[in-house]
Amino acid sequence: MVGDTIFGLRQRRTFKKMVGSARTRLYRMAYAWTHDPYLADDMVQQTLCKALNNQRQLRDMAAADAWLFRILANCLKDHYRAKREVLLGDDQVRVEYVTPETQTQEQQLVDSVRLAVSRLPLAQCQVITLVDLEGFTYAKVAETLEIPVGTVMSRLCRGRAALRNTLLDAKSQLPTEQAGTVTRIRQIRENNG
Amino acid sequence: MDKVDKFSEEQLNAFVDGELDSDEKSRVFNESQRSQELDQRLCQQRKLKELVKHAYLDVPAPMRRQDLRGRQGGFWRSAVAASVLLLLGVTIGFYAQEFTGQHYVVRGSESGLVSVESVSHPVVGGRKYILHVASGQSEDMFLALETAQYLLDSAAPGQVNRVEVVANESGLNLLRSDVTPFANEIQLLQENNVVFYACSRTIERLEEKGVEVDLLPDANHSFTALDRIVLRMKDDWEYIKI
Repeated sequence: MVGDTIFGLRQRRTFKKMVGSARTRLYRMAYAWTHDPYLADDMVQQTLCKALNNQRQLRDMAAADAWLFRILANCLKDHYRAKREVLLGDDQVRVEYVTPETQTQEQQLVDSVRLAVSRLPLAQCQVITLVDLEGFTYAKVAETLEIPVGTVMSRLCRGRAALRNTLLDAKSQLPTEQAGTVTRIRQIRENNG
Repeated sequence: MDKVDKFSEEQLNAFVDGELDSDEKSRVFNESQRSQELDQRLCQQRKLKELVKHAYLDVPAPMRRQDLRGRQGGFWRSAVAASVLLLLGVTIGFYAQEFTGQHYVVRGSESGLVSVESVSHPVVGGRKYILHVASGQSEDMFLALETAQYLLDSAAPGQVNRVEVVANESGLNLLRSDVTPFANEIQLLQENNVVFYACSRTIERLEEKGVEVDLLPDANHSFTALDRIVLRMKDDWEYIKI
Protein backbone atom coordinates (compact mmCIF):
# COMPACT_ATOMS: atom_id res chain seq x y z
CA MET A 1 0.00 0.00 0.00
CA VAL A 2 2.44 2.60 1.12
CA GLY A 3 5.54 3.56 -0.81
CA ASP A 4 5.54 0.58 -3.10
CA THR A 5 6.90 1.52 -6.48
CA ILE A 6 6.87 -0.41 -9.67
CA PHE A 7 10.59 -0.85 -9.52
CA GLY A 8 12.18 -4.07 -8.47
CA LEU A 9 14.54 -4.00 -5.56
CA ARG A 10 17.63 -3.77 -7.76
CA GLN A 11 16.23 -0.85 -9.72
CA ARG A 12 15.30 0.98 -6.53
CA ARG A 13 18.82 0.67 -5.22
CA THR A 14 20.28 1.75 -8.54
CA PHE A 15 17.97 4.74 -8.64
CA LYS A 16 18.88 5.82 -5.13
CA LYS A 17 22.57 5.45 -5.90
CA MET A 18 22.16 7.41 -9.09
CA VAL A 19 20.33 10.28 -7.42
CA GLY A 20 22.93 10.49 -4.69
CA SER A 21 25.88 10.58 -7.06
CA ALA A 22 24.30 12.99 -9.53
CA ARG A 23 24.02 15.87 -7.12
CA THR A 24 27.56 17.20 -7.61
CA ARG A 25 27.27 17.02 -11.38
CA LEU A 26 23.89 18.66 -11.37
CA TYR A 27 25.18 21.47 -9.19
CA ARG A 28 28.17 22.05 -11.47
CA MET A 29 25.86 22.27 -14.44
CA ALA A 30 23.36 24.50 -12.67
CA TYR A 31 26.18 26.80 -11.65
CA ALA A 32 27.49 26.93 -15.22
CA TRP A 33 24.01 27.92 -16.36
CA THR A 34 23.35 30.53 -13.70
CA HIS A 35 26.68 31.53 -12.10
CA ASP A 36 24.68 31.99 -8.93
CA PRO A 37 25.56 29.44 -6.22
CA TYR A 38 22.29 29.95 -4.34
CA LEU A 39 20.11 29.69 -7.38
CA ALA A 40 22.09 26.69 -8.60
CA ASP A 41 21.62 24.97 -5.27
CA ASP A 42 17.90 25.73 -5.34
CA MET A 43 17.59 24.30 -8.81
CA VAL A 44 19.38 21.12 -7.81
CA GLN A 45 17.18 20.74 -4.75
CA GLN A 46 14.09 21.09 -6.90
CA THR A 47 15.47 18.72 -9.48
CA LEU A 48 16.22 15.96 -7.04
CA CYS A 49 12.89 16.39 -5.29
CA LYS A 50 11.09 16.10 -8.61
CA ALA A 51 13.22 13.12 -9.55
CA LEU A 52 12.39 11.37 -6.29
CA ASN A 53 8.72 12.13 -6.66
CA ASN A 54 8.55 11.03 -10.26
CA GLN A 55 10.90 8.11 -10.29
CA ARG A 56 8.18 5.96 -11.77
CA GLN A 57 8.49 7.94 -14.99
CA LEU A 58 12.00 6.64 -15.47
CA ARG A 59 11.57 3.32 -17.22
CA ASP A 60 15.11 2.86 -18.40
CA MET A 61 17.98 3.54 -16.03
CA ALA A 62 20.26 4.07 -19.03
CA ALA A 63 18.32 7.26 -19.74
CA ALA A 64 18.62 8.52 -16.18
CA ASP A 65 21.28 11.11 -16.91
CA ALA A 66 19.36 12.79 -19.70
CA TRP A 67 16.21 12.60 -17.59
CA LEU A 68 17.78 14.27 -14.57
CA PHE A 69 19.40 17.06 -16.55
CA ARG A 70 16.16 17.60 -18.41
CA ILE A 71 14.41 18.12 -15.12
CA LEU A 72 17.15 20.59 -14.17
CA ALA A 73 16.71 22.51 -17.43
CA ASN A 74 12.96 22.65 -16.94
CA CYS A 75 13.31 23.80 -13.34
CA LEU A 76 15.48 26.67 -14.50
CA LYS A 77 13.07 27.53 -17.27
CA ASP A 78 10.19 27.59 -14.79
CA HIS A 79 12.26 29.76 -12.46
CA TYR A 80 12.93 32.38 -15.11
CA ARG A 81 9.31 32.33 -16.24
CA ALA A 82 8.12 32.82 -12.70
CA LYS A 83 10.37 35.83 -12.35
CA ARG A 84 8.72 37.25 -15.45
CA GLU A 85 11.85 39.10 -16.39
CA VAL A 86 11.38 38.85 -20.09
CA LEU A 87 11.91 41.88 -22.23
CA LEU A 88 11.44 42.36 -25.91
CA GLY A 89 14.40 42.14 -28.17
CA ASP A 90 16.76 39.57 -29.54
CA ASP A 91 19.42 39.97 -26.94
CA GLN A 92 19.37 37.64 -24.05
CA VAL A 93 21.42 38.41 -21.02
CA ARG A 94 21.31 36.33 -17.90
CA VAL A 95 23.17 36.84 -14.70
CA GLU A 96 26.63 38.04 -15.54
CA TYR A 97 29.47 36.34 -13.77
CA VAL A 98 31.05 38.63 -11.20
CA THR A 99 34.81 38.44 -10.95
CA PRO A 100 36.27 38.78 -7.46
CA GLU A 101 38.47 41.70 -6.67
CA THR A 102 41.67 39.80 -6.03
CA GLN A 103 42.67 37.36 -8.68
CA THR A 104 45.56 35.11 -9.36
CA GLN A 105 46.52 34.71 -12.96
CA GLU A 106 44.93 31.29 -13.08
CA GLN A 107 41.75 32.62 -11.53
CA GLN A 108 41.69 35.39 -14.16
CA LEU A 109 41.58 32.77 -16.85
CA VAL A 110 38.76 30.91 -15.12
CA ASP A 111 36.87 34.15 -14.59
CA SER A 112 37.23 35.25 -18.19
CA VAL A 113 35.81 31.94 -19.40
CA ARG A 114 32.94 32.06 -16.92
CA LEU A 115 32.15 35.64 -17.88
CA ALA A 116 32.12 34.72 -21.55
CA VAL A 117 29.88 31.72 -20.90
CA SER A 118 27.54 33.78 -18.74
CA ARG A 119 27.09 36.19 -21.62
CA LEU A 120 25.89 33.50 -23.98
CA PRO A 121 22.20 32.98 -24.53
CA LEU A 122 21.01 30.29 -22.17
CA ALA A 123 20.19 27.92 -25.01
CA GLN A 124 23.74 28.03 -26.33
CA CYS A 125 25.24 27.88 -22.84
CA GLN A 126 23.27 24.75 -22.02
CA VAL A 127 24.36 22.92 -25.14
CA ILE A 128 28.03 23.82 -24.74
CA THR A 129 28.17 22.90 -21.08
CA LEU A 130 26.35 19.61 -21.53
CA VAL A 131 28.84 18.63 -24.23
CA ASP A 132 32.00 20.01 -22.64
CA LEU A 133 31.37 19.43 -18.93
CA GLU A 134 29.34 16.24 -19.01
CA GLY A 135 30.61 14.76 -22.27
CA PHE A 136 27.09 14.27 -23.57
CA THR A 137 26.78 13.17 -27.16
CA TYR A 138 24.77 15.38 -29.44
CA ALA A 139 21.96 12.85 -29.37
CA LYS A 140 21.93 12.88 -25.59
CA VAL A 141 21.89 16.67 -25.50
CA ALA A 142 18.98 16.61 -27.93
CA GLU A 143 17.13 14.17 -25.69
CA THR A 144 17.91 16.20 -22.59
CA LEU A 145 16.81 19.55 -23.96
CA GLU A 146 14.09 18.07 -26.15
CA ILE A 147 15.37 19.68 -29.32
CA PRO A 148 16.49 18.22 -32.66
CA VAL A 149 20.12 17.20 -33.09
CA GLY A 150 20.47 19.80 -35.83
CA THR A 151 19.51 22.50 -33.34
CA VAL A 152 22.09 21.15 -30.93
CA MET A 153 24.75 21.48 -33.57
CA SER A 154 23.78 24.96 -34.66
CA ARG A 155 23.61 26.26 -31.07
CA LEU A 156 26.97 24.70 -30.39
CA CYS A 157 28.39 26.42 -33.45
CA ARG A 158 27.09 29.84 -32.52
CA GLY A 159 28.06 29.50 -28.91
CA ARG A 160 31.58 28.33 -29.59
CA ALA A 161 32.04 31.01 -32.24
CA ALA A 162 31.08 33.62 -29.67
CA LEU A 163 33.43 32.13 -27.08
CA ARG A 164 36.22 31.90 -29.60
CA ASN A 165 35.83 35.55 -30.52
CA THR A 166 35.88 36.56 -26.87
CA LEU A 167 38.51 34.24 -25.47
CA LEU A 168 40.87 33.36 -28.25
CA ASP A 169 40.79 36.48 -30.38
CA ALA A 170 44.18 38.18 -29.93
CA LYS A 171 42.50 41.56 -29.64
CA SER A 172 40.16 40.58 -26.84
CA GLN A 173 40.87 41.71 -23.33
CA LEU A 174 40.22 40.07 -20.01
CA PRO A 175 37.14 41.42 -18.24
CA THR A 176 37.64 44.25 -15.82
CA GLU A 177 37.01 43.51 -12.17
CA GLN A 178 33.48 44.03 -11.01
CA ALA A 179 33.04 44.66 -7.33
CA GLY A 180 29.76 44.62 -5.57
CA THR A 181 26.71 42.42 -5.72
CA VAL A 182 25.68 40.16 -8.53
CA THR A 183 24.09 41.87 -11.49
CA ARG A 184 20.58 40.58 -11.61
CA ILE A 185 18.92 39.30 -14.68
CA ARG A 186 18.28 42.09 -17.12
CA GLN A 187 16.85 40.39 -20.13
CA ILE A 188 15.86 36.87 -20.72
CA ARG A 189 14.28 35.38 -23.71
CA GLU A 190 14.20 31.83 -24.80
CA ASN A 191 16.59 31.73 -27.62
CA ASN A 192 15.83 29.17 -30.14
CA GLY A 193 18.77 29.97 -32.25
CA MET B 1 28.42 29.42 -41.80
CA ASP B 2 32.12 29.86 -42.42
CA LYS B 3 33.97 26.97 -43.93
CA VAL B 4 37.55 26.09 -43.31
CA ASP B 5 39.04 24.07 -46.15
CA LYS B 6 35.63 22.79 -47.27
CA PHE B 7 34.56 21.76 -43.79
CA SER B 8 31.78 23.56 -42.02
CA GLU B 9 32.05 24.76 -38.45
CA GLU B 10 29.53 22.10 -37.52
CA GLN B 11 31.75 19.39 -38.96
CA LEU B 12 34.78 20.75 -37.15
CA ASN B 13 32.88 20.87 -33.87
CA ALA B 14 31.66 17.36 -34.44
CA PHE B 15 35.23 16.23 -35.12
CA VAL B 16 36.48 17.72 -31.87
CA ASP B 17 33.52 16.23 -29.98
CA GLY B 18 34.01 12.77 -31.46
CA GLU B 19 30.71 12.84 -33.27
CA LEU B 20 31.88 12.14 -36.80
CA ASP B 21 31.81 8.68 -38.27
CA SER B 22 35.17 7.15 -39.04
CA ASP B 23 35.16 8.04 -42.75
CA GLU B 24 34.42 11.67 -42.17
CA LYS B 25 36.83 11.80 -39.28
CA SER B 26 39.59 10.48 -41.50
CA ARG B 27 38.83 13.11 -44.12
CA VAL B 28 39.16 15.91 -41.62
CA PHE B 29 42.26 14.42 -40.09
CA ASN B 30 43.99 13.94 -43.43
CA GLU B 31 43.12 17.45 -44.54
CA SER B 32 44.41 18.91 -41.27
CA GLN B 33 47.78 17.35 -42.04
CA ARG B 34 47.89 19.35 -45.24
CA SER B 35 46.25 22.59 -44.19
CA GLN B 36 47.79 24.74 -41.51
CA GLU B 37 44.64 26.84 -41.34
CA LEU B 38 42.49 23.81 -40.67
CA ASP B 39 44.96 22.44 -38.16
CA GLN B 40 44.99 25.76 -36.32
CA ARG B 41 41.22 25.94 -36.25
CA LEU B 42 40.98 22.44 -34.82
CA CYS B 43 43.53 23.36 -32.17
CA GLN B 44 41.45 26.40 -31.29
CA GLN B 45 38.32 24.29 -30.95
CA ARG B 46 40.06 21.81 -28.70
CA LYS B 47 41.55 24.59 -26.61
CA LEU B 48 38.15 26.21 -26.22
CA LYS B 49 36.64 22.93 -25.09
CA GLU B 50 39.38 22.46 -22.51
CA LEU B 51 39.01 26.04 -21.29
CA VAL B 52 35.32 25.53 -20.64
CA LYS B 53 35.96 22.26 -18.83
CA HIS B 54 38.72 23.81 -16.76
CA ALA B 55 36.63 26.83 -15.79
CA TYR B 56 34.07 24.66 -14.02
CA LEU B 57 36.29 22.05 -12.37
CA ASP B 58 35.89 23.80 -9.04
CA VAL B 59 32.71 25.73 -8.55
CA PRO B 60 31.77 27.71 -5.45
CA ALA B 61 29.19 26.23 -3.12
CA PRO B 62 26.55 28.39 -1.52
CA MET B 63 27.06 29.40 2.08
CA ARG B 64 23.82 28.45 3.75
CA ARG B 65 22.25 30.66 6.34
CA GLN B 66 22.37 27.84 8.85
CA ASP B 67 26.13 27.68 8.41
CA LEU B 68 26.32 31.40 9.07
CA ARG B 69 24.09 31.06 12.10
CA GLY B 70 26.40 28.35 13.38
CA ARG B 71 29.37 30.63 12.93
CA GLN B 72 27.58 33.33 14.81
CA GLY B 73 27.18 31.00 17.73
CA GLY B 74 23.63 29.90 17.16
CA PHE B 75 24.52 26.24 17.07
CA TRP B 76 26.72 26.51 20.13
CA ARG B 77 24.02 28.37 21.99
CA SER B 78 21.73 25.41 21.32
CA ALA B 79 24.40 22.99 22.50
CA VAL B 80 24.89 24.93 25.71
CA ALA B 81 21.15 25.02 26.27
CA ALA B 82 21.01 21.25 25.86
CA SER B 83 23.80 20.79 28.36
CA VAL B 84 22.04 22.98 30.85
CA LEU B 85 18.93 20.86 30.53
CA LEU B 86 20.97 17.75 31.26
CA LEU B 87 22.58 19.27 34.29
CA LEU B 88 19.17 20.18 35.64
CA GLY B 89 18.36 16.49 35.69
CA VAL B 90 16.13 16.27 32.69
CA THR B 91 16.47 12.94 30.95
CA ILE B 92 16.36 13.34 27.28
CA GLY B 93 16.96 10.98 24.44
CA PHE B 94 18.03 12.01 21.02
CA TYR B 95 19.55 10.37 17.99
CA ALA B 96 22.84 11.39 16.53
CA GLN B 97 23.73 10.92 12.88
CA GLU B 98 23.12 7.29 12.18
CA PHE B 99 25.75 6.65 9.56
CA THR B 100 26.89 3.52 11.29
CA GLY B 101 23.43 2.20 11.97
CA GLN B 102 23.97 2.81 15.64
CA HIS B 103 22.23 5.46 17.58
CA TYR B 104 23.15 7.20 20.74
CA VAL B 105 21.13 8.02 23.80
CA VAL B 106 22.23 10.72 26.15
CA ARG B 107 20.94 10.36 29.67
CA GLY B 108 21.22 12.92 32.37
CA SER B 109 20.68 12.34 36.03
CA GLU B 110 19.76 14.49 38.97
CA SER B 111 23.36 14.52 40.05
CA GLY B 112 24.28 16.05 36.74
CA LEU B 113 26.24 13.08 35.50
CA VAL B 114 25.86 12.46 31.84
CA SER B 115 26.29 9.17 30.13
CA VAL B 116 26.28 8.43 26.49
CA GLU B 117 25.23 5.01 25.47
CA SER B 118 25.79 3.56 22.11
CA VAL B 119 23.01 1.15 21.53
CA SER B 120 22.41 -1.06 18.62
CA HIS B 121 19.15 -0.66 16.87
CA PRO B 122 16.53 -1.91 19.35
CA VAL B 123 14.81 -4.14 16.87
CA VAL B 124 15.77 -6.42 14.07
CA GLY B 125 13.82 -6.19 10.85
CA GLY B 126 11.67 -3.17 11.63
CA ARG B 127 11.01 -1.18 8.51
CA LYS B 128 12.04 2.42 8.04
CA TYR B 129 9.97 5.07 6.34
CA ILE B 130 10.51 8.70 5.52
CA LEU B 131 7.35 10.63 4.70
CA HIS B 132 7.62 13.80 2.68
CA VAL B 133 4.97 16.49 3.09
CA ALA B 134 5.16 19.41 0.68
CA SER B 135 1.52 20.42 0.73
CA GLY B 136 -0.14 22.69 3.24
CA GLN B 137 -3.62 21.42 2.45
CA SER B 138 -5.30 20.19 5.62
CA GLU B 139 -6.28 16.88 4.11
CA ASP B 140 -2.70 16.24 3.00
CA MET B 141 -1.24 17.08 6.38
CA PHE B 142 -3.86 14.90 8.05
CA LEU B 143 -3.07 12.09 5.65
CA ALA B 144 0.61 12.37 6.52
CA LEU B 145 -0.11 11.95 10.21
CA GLU B 146 -2.55 9.12 9.59
CA THR B 147 0.03 7.40 7.42
CA ALA B 148 2.71 7.81 10.07
CA GLN B 149 0.40 6.21 12.63
CA TYR B 150 -0.50 3.43 10.24
CA LEU B 151 3.16 2.67 9.58
CA LEU B 152 3.85 2.45 13.28
CA ASP B 153 0.85 0.17 13.79
CA SER B 154 1.66 -2.06 10.85
CA ALA B 155 4.94 -3.32 12.25
CA ALA B 156 5.36 -7.06 12.37
CA PRO B 157 5.02 -8.70 15.79
CA GLY B 158 8.07 -8.02 17.95
CA GLN B 159 9.28 -5.30 15.63
CA VAL B 160 9.09 -1.53 15.63
CA ASN B 161 8.94 0.49 12.47
CA ARG B 162 10.77 3.77 12.35
CA VAL B 163 9.12 6.78 10.81
CA GLU B 164 10.35 10.26 10.03
CA VAL B 165 8.27 13.07 8.58
CA VAL B 166 9.94 15.78 6.51
CA ALA B 167 7.99 18.93 5.72
CA ASN B 168 8.93 21.57 3.20
CA GLU B 169 7.33 24.20 1.00
CA SER B 170 3.76 24.81 2.18
CA GLY B 171 3.91 21.51 4.02
CA LEU B 172 5.97 23.35 6.61
CA ASN B 173 2.65 24.58 7.98
CA LEU B 174 2.35 21.15 9.57
CA LEU B 175 5.13 22.07 11.98
CA ARG B 176 4.57 25.77 12.50
CA SER B 177 3.20 26.28 15.96
CA ASP B 178 1.10 29.29 14.97
CA VAL B 179 -0.45 27.58 11.95
CA THR B 180 -0.75 23.85 12.39
CA PRO B 181 -4.07 22.41 13.51
CA PHE B 182 -2.35 19.16 14.45
CA ALA B 183 -0.09 20.08 17.34
CA ASN B 184 -1.61 17.46 19.68
CA GLU B 185 -1.51 14.70 17.10
CA ILE B 186 2.12 15.50 16.33
CA GLN B 187 3.02 15.44 19.99
CA LEU B 188 1.48 11.99 20.35
CA LEU B 189 3.43 10.73 17.37
CA GLN B 190 6.62 12.22 18.74
CA GLU B 191 6.00 10.36 21.96
CA ASN B 192 5.92 7.24 19.82
CA ASN B 193 9.32 8.15 18.34
CA VAL B 194 8.18 9.64 15.08
CA VAL B 195 10.72 12.34 14.25
CA PHE B 196 9.64 15.50 12.46
CA TYR B 197 11.91 17.61 10.29
CA ALA B 198 11.20 21.12 9.08
CA CYS B 199 13.12 22.02 5.94
CA SER B 200 15.77 24.59 6.77
CA ARG B 201 15.66 25.98 3.28
CA THR B 202 11.95 26.64 3.40
CA ILE B 203 12.45 28.35 6.75
CA GLU B 204 15.17 30.55 5.26
CA ARG B 205 12.93 31.58 2.41
CA LEU B 206 10.10 32.50 4.70
CA GLU B 207 12.38 34.48 6.97
CA GLU B 208 13.75 36.34 3.97
CA LYS B 209 10.20 37.43 3.27
CA GLY B 210 9.85 38.68 6.82
CA VAL B 211 7.79 35.75 8.07
CA GLU B 212 8.56 34.67 11.59
CA VAL B 213 8.71 30.90 11.76
CA ASP B 214 8.00 29.29 15.10
CA LEU B 215 8.16 25.53 15.10
CA LEU B 216 6.52 22.99 17.32
CA PRO B 217 8.68 21.66 20.13
CA ASP B 218 11.21 19.04 19.03
CA ALA B 219 10.71 19.72 15.34
CA ASN B 220 14.18 19.36 13.90
CA HIS B 221 15.33 22.03 11.47
CA SER B 222 18.95 21.11 10.94
CA PHE B 223 18.52 19.79 7.43
CA THR B 224 16.94 20.71 4.18
CA ALA B 225 14.17 18.34 3.23
CA LEU B 226 16.16 16.97 0.37
CA ASP B 227 19.27 16.40 2.45
CA ARG B 228 17.31 14.37 4.94
CA ILE B 229 15.48 12.39 2.30
CA VAL B 230 18.62 11.57 0.36
CA LEU B 231 20.45 10.65 3.56
CA ARG B 232 17.72 8.25 4.55
CA MET B 233 17.25 6.78 1.13
CA LYS B 234 20.94 5.96 0.99
CA ASP B 235 20.33 3.96 4.12
CA ASP B 236 17.46 2.05 2.52
CA TRP B 237 14.66 3.98 4.13
CA GLU B 238 11.51 3.85 2.08
CA TYR B 239 10.43 7.18 0.69
CA ILE B 240 6.77 8.12 0.65
CA LYS B 241 5.50 11.33 -0.82
CA ILE B 242 2.21 12.49 0.61
